[in-house]
Amino acid sequence: MSVNTQQQGSPVVEVRNLVTYYGTRKILDDISMNVCEGEIMVIMGGSGSGKSTLLRYMLGLHRPDEGEVRLFGRDISRLGGREWQEVRRRIGVAFQGGALFNSMTVGENVRLPLREHTRLDENTMRIMSRMKLEVVNLSGFEHLMPAQLSGGMVKRAALARALVMDPEILFFDEPSAGLDPVVAADLDKLILRIRDATRVAIVVVTHELESAFEIADRITVLDRGRILMIGTVDEVRNSDNARVRNLLSRTSEDIEVDAEDYLQRLTEGAD
Amino acid sequence: MYPVEEKQGFSVVCLHGEVDLSNSPEARRTILNCLKKLRHVMVDLSAVEYIDSSGVASLVEGFQYARSNNLEFGLIGVSEAAMGVLRLARLDQVFHIYPSLDDRLGNGSRG
Amino acid sequence: MAAGVERHNGPQRLIEGVGRRFVAGVEEFGYGGTLLVESLFWLLLGRWFRQPVRLPAVAEEMMSIGVRAIPVLVILAFANGAMMAMQGIYTLRDFGAESHVVPGIAMSVVREFGVLIAGIVVAGRSGSAIAARIGTMQMAQEVDALRVMGISPVRYLVAPVLAAMLLMMPALTVLANCLAIVGGGVFSVMELHIGWVTYFDRVLAVLSSDDIAQGMIKSLVFGVLITLVATANGFSASGGAEGLGRATTRSVVLCISAIVVADMIFTFFLSR
Repeated sequence: MSVNTQQQGSPVVEVRNLVTYYGTRKILDDISMNVCEGEIMVIMGGSGSGKSTLLRYMLGLHRPDEGEVRLFGRDISRLGGREWQEVRRRIGVAFQGGALFNSMTVGENVRLPLREHTRLDENTMRIMSRMKLEVVNLSGFEHLMPAQLSGGMVKRAALARALVMDPEILFFDEPSAGLDPVVAADLDKLILRIRDATRVAIVVVTHELESAFEIADRITVLDRGRILMIGTVDEVRNSDNARVRNLLSRTSEDIEVDAEDYLQRLTEGAD
Repeated sequence: MYPVEEKQGFSVVCLHGEVDLSNSPEARRTILNCLKKLRHVMVDLSAVEYIDSSGVASLVEGFQYARSNNLEFGLIGVSEAAMGVLRLARLDQVFHIYPSLDDRLGNGSRG
Repeated sequence: MAAGVERHNGPQRLIEGVGRRFVAGVEEFGYGGTLLVESLFWLLLGRWFRQPVRLPAVAEEMMSIGVRAIPVLVILAFANGAMMAMQGIYTLRDFGAESHVVPGIAMSVVREFGVLIAGIVVAGRSGSAIAARIGTMQMAQEVDALRVMGISPVRYLVAPVLAAMLLMMPALTVLANCLAIVGGGVFSVMELHIGWVTYFDRVLAVLSSDDIAQGMIKSLVFGVLITLVATANGFSASGGAEGLGRATTRSVVLCISAIVVADMIFTFFLSR
């Protein structure tokens, strides 16, 4: 999978010098990266690395404090209602917990974007949603309610919903979190199959190394809100950056103590 | 409107360009209209640059309609891009797919 | 730390705390306002933007907000009417003024208590249910999912509730009015030895269309308040199951408080 993807078509996601705060705490610090057409970019990092936050900013759920996020070359914080709508129709998102609507069947969930955004014939919409359920191996589960599905099935149903409008960018938050290894590996294969068939750009956020190495064209390694490195699977594997190595070997890193900083943290606000 | 040619007992529907959400209803109507006239239908995809799920869904509907009316329905000149989309949903194993209409005729009768 | 600093810090903190609360309160008020404007926008113009508020969703809300509230409402309204009759007759008997009980019941039910009972029943049932439902969706990222699908959460989740409230609150108020008057009637007929016909004659004699309109207007305002308070609390829920519980409780308490305070303000201006 470690093909050189540097010149693999134009970038569809561009993040430029993104800085974000939660209250007064800096969460993301000067993040710059891009994702190209037909590429699988894995954003990897431990918990608290800011990877989920980065995803939320890419989706336009928050407005950047500094810097910008561009989708299809357009700064998303400057888009008007209609333009945003256009952009949103071209992206699909599978959330970590699936975020399926519990009051609807699986099939209705998958059809929802079609129902809201297109004027297709009812029959066409049904066929389209069933096709996507076939793609994710959930055929026959159309009439079940989300609560009746297992964890892996929920993720696949969410994937089907994300794909139903044939997006040009697919965002997938933690595909393998909470799944047993076999199911997680199946999901990885599915992601690769989808990319090969459709040339969709895929952004995967994960903390699972195995999964990241399996599917990624390039990997962005995040740590404490900063980018440690961006590179191909091999480049990341062979990196001699200590933090990256630590992350890979999963040793809980000996936290370097900046005495000044540490004292400040412990005593801040106390009086 | 997509052009329809009558050839050797088939209505050949020529889809072209990008078949997506905005024009797949048109494709669907064209295909179903031919079938409603009880014609055997071949859909020519050779000029298709891109076909999305709604386009493929229209083909599925046509195929289903043809089968329930004992008509023949096939795809010809399926481009690599279109094939990828069909393969993803494993529909390449469902449709009758021929390189060209001549290949279909050479194959003997079917349907 | 030094005592001097402490002394200085106490009142400063208090003021800071009050200030922060105040700003948060104003913010919440403003948020409620935007929810209202946006919901009305979708209800009135959504169809034009090809993003209509779905009627089945409105119908469903009408069922859960209105129709399923009827049993409780019937009991409460009836009991309230009966209580008013009892209190009225016993207290006014001392003054020999029992005959004024019936007009009293009629006026206060139609102007005040019918709508208040309807409001409190809906606030108690739907104020919690709506906050809980939206809060759950918020935490499960379903609200985010709507947003990234380009479906306005306000159109999808708030507007149907608002529409249902605006339709059902007046209906429930009418029902509450009728039942409270019947409830008052049962006791009055027995105690005052008057017939049902006489009772209703006296009731109708004192009621003007203004009184009824006053109740109806209040019911609409209550409906809007419950919608905004409940949905706003739902959207701001965070922090797992515990947070959800907190948001739900807060929603009910605020709904009922908002109703009662609004009612007081209304009565002050309308009874002049």
